[in-house]
Amino acid sequence: MSEGHRSIFAAALSRRRFIAGGACIPLALTSSEASETGLPILRFGLTPVFLNNDIQLLDTLKVFLEAATGHSVELVTRRTYQEVTSLLVSGQLDAAWICGYPYIQYRDDLELVAIPAWNGKPYYQSYLIVAAGRDAETIMDLRDDIHAFSDPDSNSGFLVTRTLMFEHSLVPDDFFRKTLFTYGHRNVIRAVASNLAQSGSVDGYVWEVMLELEPELVSQTRVLRRSKWLGFPPIATSRAMAGTAKTRVLQKALLEMAANPQGREVLDLLRLTGFEMPREAEFDGIADMVARLRGVL
Amino acid sequence: MSGRIGFRRLPLIWRVPLAVSVLMFLVSAVITERVLDRLGSIQETYLQSIANSYLDGVTASISPSVLREDSWEIFDALERLRPVNTAIVPVETIVTTPSRVILAATDPLAYPSLEKMDDLQTERFPTTQIRIESDDGLAYLERDIVYQNTTIGRIYTIFDARLLLAERRDVLSTLILTNAAFTVLLVLIGIITVRRMIGPMQTLENHMIEAAEGKATRIDVSPQTPGNAESRRLFMAFNTLLDADEERRELSTRLAEEEKLASLGRLSSVMAHEINNPLGGLLNAVDTLKKHGANAGVRDASLDLLQRGLQGIGDVVRAALATYRPARQSRPLSLSDFHDAKMLLSPELRSRGQVLDLFLETGEGPACGCPAGPVRQAMINLLLNASAASPEGADLFLRSARLEDSVIVEVGDRGPGLPARAVRLLTGPAKRNLPDGKGLGLWVVRQIADEIGAGLELATRPGGGSIVRIKLGPGTFGEIGHAA
Repeated sequence: MSEGHRSIFAAALSRRRFIAGGACIPLALTSSEASETGLPILRFGLTPVFLNNDIQLLDTLKVFLEAATGHSVELVTRRTYQEVTSLLVSGQLDAAWICGYPYIQYRDDLELVAIPAWNGKPYYQSYLIVAAGRDAETIMDLRDDIHAFSDPDSNSGFLVTRTLMFEHSLVPDDFFRKTLFTYGHRNVIRAVASNLAQSGSVDGYVWEVMLELEPELVSQTRVLRRSKWLGFPPIATSRAMAGTAKTRVLQKALLEMAANPQGREVLDLLRLTGFEMPREAEFDGIADMVARLRGVL
Repeated sequence: MSGRIGFRRLPLIWRVPLAVSVLMFLVSAVITERVLDRLGSIQETYLQSIANSYLDGVTASISPSVLREDSWEIFDALERLRPVNTAIVPVETIVTTPSRVILAATDPLAYPSLEKMDDLQTERFPTTQIRIESDDGLAYLERDIVYQNTTIGRIYTIFDARLLLAERRDVLSTLILTNAAFTVLLVLIGIITVRRMIGPMQTLENHMIEAAEGKATRIDVSPQTPGNAESRRLFMAFNTLLDADEERRELSTRLAEEEKLASLGRLSSVMAHEINNPLGGLLNAVDTLKKHGANAGVRDASLDLLQRGLQGIGDVVRAALATYRPARQSRPLSLSDFHDAKMLLSPELRSRGQVLDLFLETGEGPACGCPAGPVRQAMINLLLNASAASPEGADLFLRSARLEDSVIVEVGDRGPGLPARAVRLLTGPAKRNLPDGKGLGLWVVRQIADEIGAGLELATRPGGGSIVRIKLGPGTFGEIGHAA
């Protein structure tokens, strides 16, 4: 799910409005280390797209987190979800904004810190998109497409569509002419809009926010299918870090973000309403899909 | 050919500027061609270097993705590497496998991934040197993606070179406008210069044409006259020539008058002789009348003698008057003029034992309306010349006849033939100046013929001798009216 945020950030970057990170920002707290200023360091995972495209956005997020947690915040980015998840599970990140799918995969090693609320709810959808003018109604019409996925560890950008195909007894490599991983929801939209791919699987939250931020690009695509509501990409920490003072500080900062002017600014840019206390049940839908595909992937 | 003739017919004042403009056109065409050719080379080099640097960047960036055949990464890289701060931008970049299967393109709609580039599409791409298509303003270039000495893919790039072509068009139009302006300027300068240069020549030409038409006038060479010292010297030389010609003509006229008087003197002595000859007989007759007037036979014989003698004197006097009194010349030519001529010549002929035959074949008369005076003068001159040229006892003739719409008067002699100088004098180009030496009589004949518009022809007389023919054409008819 961090991918979703990356995309949104990327979109926001171009307008210099979209400041703070959304979904999958991995937070990490390592109490034993200290920064040059003497403050303990909090390692927070982000994606390269995020980082490269808008330093100002990162700065705003960093300023907020540092002020809210009293830690020196270090934003860490990697290209794929897998890399971020690995860093998180291995304790090299104090926290990270990850996707629901990796969370379910590594549920035993991870602990939820907070879950973002979009339109007041901690849920989002996966969209199956095609080019705007294309005449297609169901996934069955997408045979022999070049299909763009976001990331193999993305729920909305891979797992949902993969599950749907499984339900139709379809194998991606056979059904599609070719599949691409673009490592970013915005990239999925770009690939479909440009016709490099004829269809794509994308984070519904990202698509909707980008429709507002980059209507010229997003309006070149249309939603073919919306999935059911699934748990929004959460902020998680490793099991080992769970309950530590650093994690609690971070959790408090996130949950009270909506009440803080700086935090409000970040949330506005992300089009989020705030952060909530996470509940395991919110990820039952994803867990169900993972269970069904066990042995297939 | 006709064009060349047409060009030659143009006045010099137009020919020179026209030649200048043609030359300028040729020069500017060559310069324009050279400039555009050089500009084209520079532009292609420039475009090639831009293309190379672009392709270097793309190749370096996408090689790993091409190895993995990762269409998205290639597409993303092409998007990111698209130059934005240059006037020459790639409009299309297509990356394929070595077997030309498209991996990604900047416009996937036109070049869909996994489709194969067909021959028609790849034909447009030269492998080494960039090529600019002038019709659509696009430049095509192909480059292999080589990784560890192996070709792993190909890049086809189309650049928008319309800016370069527009630049070329701008240069062309600037050159054309500049050259046209220069040509017009040079032509104008040429016209003005040539006009200034040949202005004096034209003045001279006009005066010479007038002079040829007999209306010569002097050229004004006052200091106010435009032109340089050279042209002024030329004008002065012309004026000097004109003065000299005028003097010579006056001299000629005077000499002609003198010649006329000389021939008159000669004829006067003849006439005196003609009058004197019967005069003795007449006085004798008067004496006889005084002495034997009573005798009717003697009286009648004497009176008869007196009458014939006085008639003869009267004829001689009348003929002389008719010939040398200009006021009486303004009557038309008649048969009596021929008889008079014969009579006037008879003493001369008699002295040389020559015979003059008169052939008047015009019936009652020539009836041509030609002025009698000049024709009589010409006839007498020709007869005097014929007599002098012929040996003693020769038979001469004077003939008048009609020939088509002309009247001809012929004088035949038995001389050895007219010398070349005399032939030139009579039938050569008009020459108003008096000839040197002899031949004054013939020169007068030529002057008379020219004045009255008559023609002069020469022929050989059968049996030896020459014939000089005065041809009184329709142009001479009616001269009498003007003379009157």
